[in-house]
Amino acid sequence: MGCAVQLNDLVKTFGAVRALDGLNLEVRIGEVHGFLGPNGAGKSTTIRVLLGLLRHDSGSARILDSDPWKDAAGLHRRVAYVPGDVNLWPNLTGGEVIDLLGRMRGGLDERKRTDLLERFELDPSKKARTYSKGNRQKVAVVAAFASNAELYLLDEPTSGLDPLMEAEFQRCVHEAKAEGATVLLSSHILAEAEALSDRISIIKHGIVVQSGTLAELRHLTRTTVIAQTASPSTRMVDVPGVHNPQFQDGRVAFDVDSDHLDGAVAALSSLGIRSLTAHPPTLEELFLRQYGEDVATSAHGDVA
Amino acid sequence: MSSASTGTGHLVRLILRRDRVQLPLWIVGLGGMIASSALAVPGVYNTPEKVAGYAASVGASPVSHLMSGRQAAIDTIGGITANEVSQVAQLGVCLMVMFQVVRHTRTEEETGRAELLRSTVLGRHAATLAALGYAVFTALLIGCITAGTMLAAGLAATGSLNYGVGLTLLGICYAAVALVAAQLSTSARGALGIAGTAIAAGYLVRGLGAMQDNALVWLSPFGWAQLMNAFGAERWWPALLLAVATAGLLSLAGYLTAHRDFGGGLVQPRPGHPRGTRALGTSFGLALRLQRGTLIGWAVGLFVLALIYGAVIPTIPDLVKSNPDIGKYIGVSADAEQELIDAFLRYIHLFMAVVSTAFAVSSVLRLRSEEESGRAELVLSTGVSRTAWVAATAAVAGLGALGLTLLMGIGLALGYGLGMGQWNQVAAQVAGQLAYLPGVLVVAAFAVAVAGLLPRRSLLAWLLVAAVFFQTMLGETLRLPNAVDAVSPFWHLPGVPDEPFDLSPGLVELLIAAALIMIGVWGYRRRDLASN
Repeated sequence: MGCAVQLNDLVKTFGAVRALDGLNLEVRIGEVHGFLGPNGAGKSTTIRVLLGLLRHDSGSARILDSDPWKDAAGLHRRVAYVPGDVNLWPNLTGGEVIDLLGRMRGGLDERKRTDLLERFELDPSKKARTYSKGNRQKVAVVAAFASNAELYLLDEPTSGLDPLMEAEFQRCVHEAKAEGATVLLSSHILAEAEALSDRISIIKHGIVVQSGTLAELRHLTRTTVIAQTASPSTRMVDVPGVHNPQFQDGRVAFDVDSDHLDGAVAALSSLGIRSLTAHPPTLEELFLRQYGEDVATSAHGDVA
Repeated sequence: MSSASTGTGHLVRLILRRDRVQLPLWIVGLGGMIASSALAVPGVYNTPEKVAGYAASVGASPVSHLMSGRQAAIDTIGGITANEVSQVAQLGVCLMVMFQVVRHTRTEEETGRAELLRSTVLGRHAATLAALGYAVFTALLIGCITAGTMLAAGLAATGSLNYGVGLTLLGICYAAVALVAAQLSTSARGALGIAGTAIAAGYLVRGLGAMQDNALVWLSPFGWAQLMNAFGAERWWPALLLAVATAGLLSLAGYLTAHRDFGGGLVQPRPGHPRGTRALGTSFGLALRLQRGTLIGWAVGLFVLALIYGAVIPTIPDLVKSNPDIGKYIGVSADAEQELIDAFLRYIHLFMAVVSTAFAVSSVLRLRSEEESGRAELVLSTGVSRTAWVAATAAVAGLGALGLTLLMGIGLALGYGLGMGQWNQVAAQVAGQLAYLPGVLVVAAFAVAVAGLLPRRSLLAWLLVAAVFFQTMLGETLRLPNAVDAVSPFWHLPGVPDEPFDLSPGLVELLIAAALIMIGVWGYRRRDLASN
C-alpha cells in the first residue's frame, strides 16, 4: 500500500525553539490516521509544513508523491484543509466562503454542498462576522468535505462543535474514507481519534513517540485488572509485570504488562477468583503514560 | 451600591494600560506636528510684508478657505499660525478620538471581550463613560499642547487659550459622535464609517460655507470652533454650541445603549448571498471583493475633491487680477491667465496623486492583515499559489490606483466645466493626472516588497508615504537638498501641462515598480507564512 503522507526526520525551528525535532510520520493511502498530542506538541506545525505554509529546515516531506513546498498550489487541488482556529472574512457570507474555497480548489460537489449545509444546520446567507466559533468551523468543514479531495488534513476540526455536530463530522470522515480518501486527523480529543482512526501516531515535543494501530499500541502497554479473590491477594505484589497494586475492601486492582498477563491471571486463579474485570488500556491511559511522566520536567517551549 | 456607571474607573485604567504605547504615539505624533508647524510660523513670516503677502494670497484663496476655513485676523501672526495649524489639528484630533472611542466600545463588543467584562460588576453605561473620559483626556492633552506651543511662539495668551479650547471641544464633540456611531452599527468597521462620514461632512460643510462666505459655516462643529475667532475679535459663546451638541449626542448615545441588546445595534446586518458569484472564485475576485467597499469610498471622496478643485479654478485669475501680490507669490504674472491656471492644476494633480498613494499602500498591506488573521492560510491551502495571491492583491491596488487617477482627472475636468463653461478638458486633465500615476505605483510596489520581504516591518511602507507627503507639501518651502527630494518618486516626474513632458522618468519608475513587485513576490514565496 502506498503512502499519502511521508515525513522523514523532519526538523522545523522557530528561532531557538525546535518545534519539530526529527519527526517521522507515515499515513497510508485510504486510512484515517489519528495524530494525537497535547497543545504545543507540534501538530499544527506539522500540518502547516504539509500544506507548504511553512518550510522545513531539514528532513524530507512528501505528500501524494509531491513536494509540499514546491508543488503547493498544484497539490492543493487534491487536498482539503480544516484549520483548528477558523478565521473568515467578516463581510462575506458563509455560502460565499464555501463557494470561494471550493472554486479555488478547482471545483466543488454541488450535491454534497447542499447535503452538508443541511446536515450541519448552517445558514449560508449569514455574514461571517455574525457566526459563532462553531459556525465558522462548520463553514470550513462543509467547504472541505464538499470538495471530493484525495487527502483531508484536519487540524482539531471539532474544537468548536457541539456533540451532535461532532457525530455528524464523524459520519463525514467515514464517508470520505468509504470513497477511498485519506484522512489525517489531529486531535487532543482521544475518544474522537479512537472512534475514527485506523492507525494513530502520538506526538510529543516535536517527535512521534508511538505509532501503530490501536491494537498494536495496546500490546505495548498494560491491561487494568480488578479482581476479588477468596484468599488474601497481598502476594500479587510479587508477581512479575504487575504495577501499582491497590487493595481495598478485599479487592485488588493493578496494571499488568501485556506480556505478563497470563502469569498474573494464573496467580489470581490460584487465590480463588470470585469476580474479575479486565479492560484494555484506553487511549486516555496510553496518552497519560506518554505525557504523565515528565510533564513537570518538560523544558521544551510550547509551539502551537 | 451599583449604578449604571459602576466600574468606569476600572475600565479607564484598563484602557490606559492597553493604550500605553498607542496613546503616547498619538500625542507625540499629532502634538509634534501641530507644535512644529506653530513654532515655525514666526520665523517664516518675519516681516510685515510677508505677513501681508500671506493674508493677500493664502488668506484670500478659495482653496485655503475650503481646506482651513476663514480664519479671523489672517493679517496677523496669530491668525496665520491658527490657519497653518488648523487643518492638521482639527482633522487630527477628530480622527484620533474617533479611532479611540470605537476601539474601546464597539470593537470590544464585536470581538466578545466586552462580554467578559460585562459579566462582572459593571454598569450599563460604564463602557461609554470610560471611552468618553479617555477621549476627553486625550483631546485635552492635544488642546494644551496646541495652546502651550502658541504661547511659547510668543502669541497672545487669550488667543492661544481660545484656540486650544475650541480645538478640545471640537474633539470632544466628535468623540460623542463616535459614541453614537458605536451604538448604531454592530461592527467596528461600520461605526468608523458612520463617524468618519460625520467628520467629513462637518469638514466639507465648513469648507463650502467658508468658500462662499455664507451661513453654512454655522452648521458645522468645525465652523463653531473657528467662529470663536481666536486672535481676532475673540468670542466664547460658540463654545456653548459645541458643548450643547456634545451633550445632545451623549444623551442620544446613552438612550441607545439603554435600549439595545448587548452586541446589537440599530443598523442590523442584512443577510447576504447564500452563493458566491462566479467572479469570487479567483484570487483576484476575492482581493477585489475584500477591497470593494474601501475602493468605492476612496473613489467617491477623491472624485468630489477633484470636482471641487475644478470648480474653484475660475476664481483664480480674478484673484490675481485684484491682487497682483499673489501672482508674484506664485511666480506667474497676472496677465498670463492660462499659465496661472496650469500651475494650479499641476499642483492639484500632484496633491491628489500623493493622497491616492495612501489608498494604494493600505490596499497592498491587506496582504499583511490577511496573513496575520490566518485567512491567507485558508486561501493558500487551496489551489491558489503564493505568486497568484500577491499578484492579485497588487493588481487590485494598481488597477484601483489607475481607476482613482482616471476618476480624479474626470472630476477635475467636470469641475472645470462647471466653473468655466468649457467642457473640453477631459483628455487634458486625465493626461495630467496620469502623468503622476507611475509615482503612485512605485510607492505601492514598495509596499509589496515590504510585505513580501519584511512582513514585520510594514510600517516602512507608511514611512515612505509620510516622506512623500512631507516632500510634496514642504519640499520647496524648506529648500530641502535634492538628495532628500529624490526620495519621493513624484519629484522626478514632469508635471503637465506647464512643464515640458518627458516620458522617460515615468517609464523608469514603472520598471522600478515592476522590480519591487518581483522582489516582494520572491520574498513572499520563500518565507514561512505567519501563523497565529
